[in-house]
Amino acid sequence: MIITGLVVGLVLGFVFQRGRFCVTGAFRDLTLTGNTRWFSALIVLIAVHSIGLFLLNTFGVITLEAEPFPWLAAIVGGLIFGASMVFAGGCATGTYYRAGEGLVGSWFALIFYALFSAVMKLGPAAGFTDGIRAITLDNGSLQASTGLSPWVFVVIISAIAIWLTVHHARKLKTPMATLPPRKTGLAHLFTEKRWNPFATAVVIGIIATIAWPLSAATGRNSGLGITTPSANLTGYLATGDAELIDWGVMLVIGILVGSFIAAKASGEFRLRVPDQATIIKSIIGGIGMGVGAAIAGGCTVGNAMVSTAQFEYQGWVSMVFMIAGAGIAAKATIKPKQSQAAAPVAESRTV
Amino acid sequence: MKQVLETDGQVCPFPLVEAKEAMTGLEAGDELVINFDCTQATEAIPQWAAENGYPVTHFDRVTDASWTITVQKS
Repeated sequence: MIITGLVVGLVLGFVFQRGRFCVTGAFRDLTLTGNTRWFSALIVLIAVHSIGLFLLNTFGVITLEAEPFPWLAAIVGGLIFGASMVFAGGCATGTYYRAGEGLVGSWFALIFYALFSAVMKLGPAAGFTDGIRAITLDNGSLQASTGLSPWVFVVIISAIAIWLTVHHARKLKTPMATLPPRKTGLAHLFTEKRWNPFATAVVIGIIATIAWPLSAATGRNSGLGITTPSANLTGYLATGDAELIDWGVMLVIGILVGSFIAAKASGEFRLRVPDQATIIKSIIGGIGMGVGAAIAGGCTVGNAMVSTAQFEYQGWVSMVFMIAGAGIAAKATIKPKQSQAAAPVAESRTV
Repeated sequence: MKQVLETDGQVCPFPLVEAKEAMTGLEAGDELVINFDCTQATEAIPQWAAENGYPVTHFDRVTDASWTITVQKS
């Protein structure tokens, strides 16, 4: 029943759009502004997901497999992906849901990301990707190398997540401004109200957990993933090989449609065509994301949410290098425009 | 005094980057009107204002996927 992938994708796309969940922002802010709020929300997501996955594993609902650690690929791929997502203005899922919001720059990023993930996974560069990913160390996870129960690490990351949530809840000096409500009840909650990033993180962690057994039931024993499904979708469109259509392909189609529904229902869909420089940056970013994610074995979802939740080194190491790559790209490219800073002064303006 | 910052067409984080830059040139009590069309800034800009203790005197939609927020320097 790969149709469950479409349903999970629809829900996930909706939640990502409404929650403004942006891992690129989370990583970029760490080095650009030192703001840890979104990164902390990601840690909460990983904690919730790790609790869910190891519960399902303990009760035999799913079987988590021990993998080796492709260290070189995690480092190189993470760096490339991290820098590229800053150029593209969003990670893989971010690009999907911004595409659904009508940002044409994200359409370019998405097309080139999907194309180059296919080039690296199914196409002429697949041999290179397999080669670099074959350079591995044994014992790919914390529980494998320490011999401890994974629950030790579940408890540790949960404690960190709780501490971060409390820390950020106390940090605000004044209440956050919100848009004046025009809707009531469920319409207000789902298509208008601001969602707290930490609440959104918990919801995504739960969806990610539910995703695994649904995907496994169709013969795909893994959780949320964006890059391989994007490569498979491209491969299917190019070859017509229906074997490539699996639960993951349904998932990414669902994310795109779900984010469009969320944006449309909330009055946040509009076709927005960026300037030439942004389009070029989006294309370069998309290419780099496809290449980087294929090498690293996942994007900010597959590695930074799902692999991390299993305490695999691939997830954590590639995440550290994504943060480094994002930091380098942010420092190099994100500066205020001088002309903008001296904007004309207007005494009054009504809108 | 009110200063208007047009950031339409700029994707995140640029609206916030520009807003921070513009804010440095303002005196306490001055207001900065930021017009933006990046969805994520509906979270990022109020968050930045709240963390810095800047009052938000106006925040509303303009059209679909287009917003205006007025932040006062304190």
